[in-house]
Amino acid sequence: MTTIHRPSGPTTSAPGAHVPGRSLLRIGPVSLLIRRRAVLVAAALSVLLLLAMLLSLSLGTPYVAPADVLRALSGAGTPYDLVVFDLRLPRILLAAVAGAAFGVAGTLIQSVARNPLASPDVIGITQGAGLAATVALTSGMAAVLVAPTALVGGLVAAALLFALGARHGLAAQRFVLAGVAVAFGFRALTEVVMLTADPIDGLRAQIWLIGTLAGKGWTEAAWIAGTLLVLLPVLAWAGWALNSTALDDDTTRGVGLRPVARRVGLAGTGVLVAAMVTAQVGAVDFVALVAPQVARRLVRAERPPLVCAALLGALLLVLADLAGRRLFAPTQLPAGVLTAAIGGPYLIFLLLRGRRRSS
Amino acid sequence: MLSTRDLVAGYDERTVLDGLDLDLPADAFTVIVGPNACGKSTLLRTMARLLTPRRGTVLLDGTAIRDLPTREVARRLGVLPQSPLVPEGVTVADLVGRGRQPYQRWWRQWSSEDGVAVEQAMTLADVADLADRPVDSLSGGQRQRVWIAMTLAQDTDALLLDEPTTFLDLAHQVEVLDLLHRLRVERGRTVVAVLHDLNQAARYADHLVAMRAGAVVAAGPPREILTADLVHDVFGLACVVVPCPVTGAPLVVPAYTGGHSTGAAASAGGSGAAAASAGASGIPAATAGQGGTDLSDASVPGARPASGDGANPLADSYPSKGL
Repeated sequence: MTTIHRPSGPTTSAPGAHVPGRSLLRIGPVSLLIRRRAVLVAAALSVLLLLAMLLSLSLGTPYVAPADVLRALSGAGTPYDLVVFDLRLPRILLAAVAGAAFGVAGTLIQSVARNPLASPDVIGITQGAGLAATVALTSGMAAVLVAPTALVGGLVAAALLFALGARHGLAAQRFVLAGVAVAFGFRALTEVVMLTADPIDGLRAQIWLIGTLAGKGWTEAAWIAGTLLVLLPVLAWAGWALNSTALDDDTTRGVGLRPVARRVGLAGTGVLVAAMVTAQVGAVDFVALVAPQVARRLVRAERPPLVCAALLGALLLVLADLAGRRLFAPTQLPAGVLTAAIGGPYLIFLLLRGRRRSS
Repeated sequence: MLSTRDLVAGYDERTVLDGLDLDLPADAFTVIVGPNACGKSTLLRTMARLLTPRRGTVLLDGTAIRDLPTREVARRLGVLPQSPLVPEGVTVADLVGRGRQPYQRWWRQWSSEDGVAVEQAMTLADVADLADRPVDSLSGGQRQRVWIAMTLAQDTDALLLDEPTTFLDLAHQVEVLDLLHRLRVERGRTVVAVLHDLNQAARYADHLVAMRAGAVVAAGPPREILTADLVHDVFGLACVVVPCPVTGAPLVVPAYTGGHSTGAAASAGGSGAAAASAGASGIPAATAGQGGTDLSDASVPGARPASGDGANPLADSYPSKGL
C-alpha cells in the first residue's frame, strides 16, 4: 500500500501536521519524508538526462537521427547498431554513472566539510589516485592494472585524511585542512614522478590526470555502477543522515545522535565513491564540486540533496563529454578539460555571491 | 532525577570540575549560578552527556548515563546548548521536527506522534505562527523560543538549558524564563538552567546551585541560601540583599563602590547578610544603610511577603505577570 499524505489546506497547524514543503510517503512500515520540490526537480533532471543521452547518441560522425537511435535501442536491427551500441552507448552510460557517482561523492564530502568548495580534488582523493595512476603508467604496468592501482592510491589518501582529521572528530575545518595537506603532498610526489619519467609516459599520465572517457566503456561503467549498487543501503541511510550535518555537535548529541560516527560514515562513503570513480575515469571532479551546490539551489534545501545531485552530475558529465567530442571535432577534448573550463567561472560566481552576502 | 558522583571533567589540559557530588531535585526548576569560568556550563554539558567526564558518573534516575543508549537518554533528557548554530534556510517547523530524531530511523522518518509532539511543542513555545518561516530570519527572542520548542518536541521529562537568556533583551529574557516556569508548573517537567543573572535565578528557581571554581558552594531554595555572604563568597562582590518588591524573592543589589574599587566590600557584605536574614524571616523591611545609602524603606507597597508561599512563591501565578 502506497499512500501520499499532503497537509490539507493552507494551514500546517492541523494536529499531526508534518514539515512544511514535504510529503510523507508510506510504504508498509516504511515512512519517508520527501521534499515535494525535490521530486519535481528529480523528475525534470531525469527527463533532461534522457534527452541529453539521446542527443549524444545521435550527434557525431556519422550522424544518426534520434528516431534511428530509438529504433536501434529497441532492438529492431538497424544499420546504425554498431555506432549506437558499440561506439557511443558504453561511453555515454559511463558518463552518466560516473557523473552520478561524482554528484554523490561531492554531496557527502561537502556536507561533512560544511563547505561548498570541498570536492574529492580538494581533500586529496584525486591526487592519491593520480599519484598511483602516474606510477602505474610510467612504470609500464599493464593497462588493466592502472584503474585498480589508482583505486588503491585514492583509498590510501582517504586513510591518511581520516588519520589526520580524526583527532577532532573529523570536524569540518579539520577535515578540509587535513584534505588540503594530503592533496598537496600527493600532487608534489606526482610531479616528481612525472618529471623523472619518459616524456611519452608523462604525457599519458597527464591525460589520465585531466580525466577522459575516450576509449572507456562497459567495464568502467560496471565498476562504478556496481559500487553504487553495493552502497545503496548506505546511501539510503546517508540521504536521511545528511539532515543532521547542518546542526552543531552539541545539538546533534542532544537529540540522541552521534555526530562523529555520522561524519565518519558519510565521509567514508563519499571518499569510497570518489576513489572508485576517479580511478575509473580520472579527475573529472568539477562535477563533484558543482552538482551538489546547483542541486541544492534548485531544490531550495539547506544542504545538497543526494538524488538530485546524482542526476545533475550525470547530466553535466554527459553534456561535458558530448561537448568535448563535438566542439573541436575531429579533435576530441577530454571531458575533464570541459568540466574544468566551466569550473573556473563557477568558482568566481560563488566567490562574488559570497562577498555580496557578507557585505 | 539527575545526580553526579565524584565527577571530574574538563577540556584538554584543564580540569574544570574536580570530584563534584550533586543531586538535583526532580519536578523542580533548578538554576545553576556562578562567576565566569566556574564550571557551571561544564557541569551542565557533562550532565547532558555532551562532554564525557574523565572520572565519576552522571546518574539519570539512578542509572549511569554512559550505560544508556544515547537515543534513550534523548527521550528522557532534552538539552539546549549555549548559542547553537542556526542552520541556513531551515524552517521553524523543520527545526522543531528535528527534536523528534530520537524516535526516528531512516526507514521511519515520521509518525503521527511526531506530528502531535511538534504541534504541541510549537504551541507551548508560542512559535506556531512562525512554522513556515526560516529560522535564520527570526529575531533572537523568537529563535530562542524555536530552539526551546525543538527540545520540547523531544518530549522529555527533564530539560537542561545552558544560558538560555544570553543575548536577549530584558523583555525576551523574562519571556523565556516564564516559559520555563510554565513547563515546570503546568507540565511537571524538571528544568535545569545555567543563568548569569542572580536576581532572575532567585526569582524563578525552586532550587539554586551556587558554584565557584568547579565546586558547589551552596545549594537549596534561593530564599534560604541567597545571602550577601554567599554572593560575596561566590562572586567576590559586596552587595545588599533585599526582598524583591514584586515576588518577595531575594534581590541582590551591588553595594555602592563609588564607581571604582570594592574598598567597602567587607562591611557591606556584613550588613547585607543582616538584610538577607531579615528578608528570609518574613520582615519586609531591609536595613542595610551604609555609606550614605539608606535602604531602610526598601519595603515597597504591594510587595509580596517573603513567607507568603513557602518554598515556591511562583506556584500560583506567572512571576512576570505579578504587577
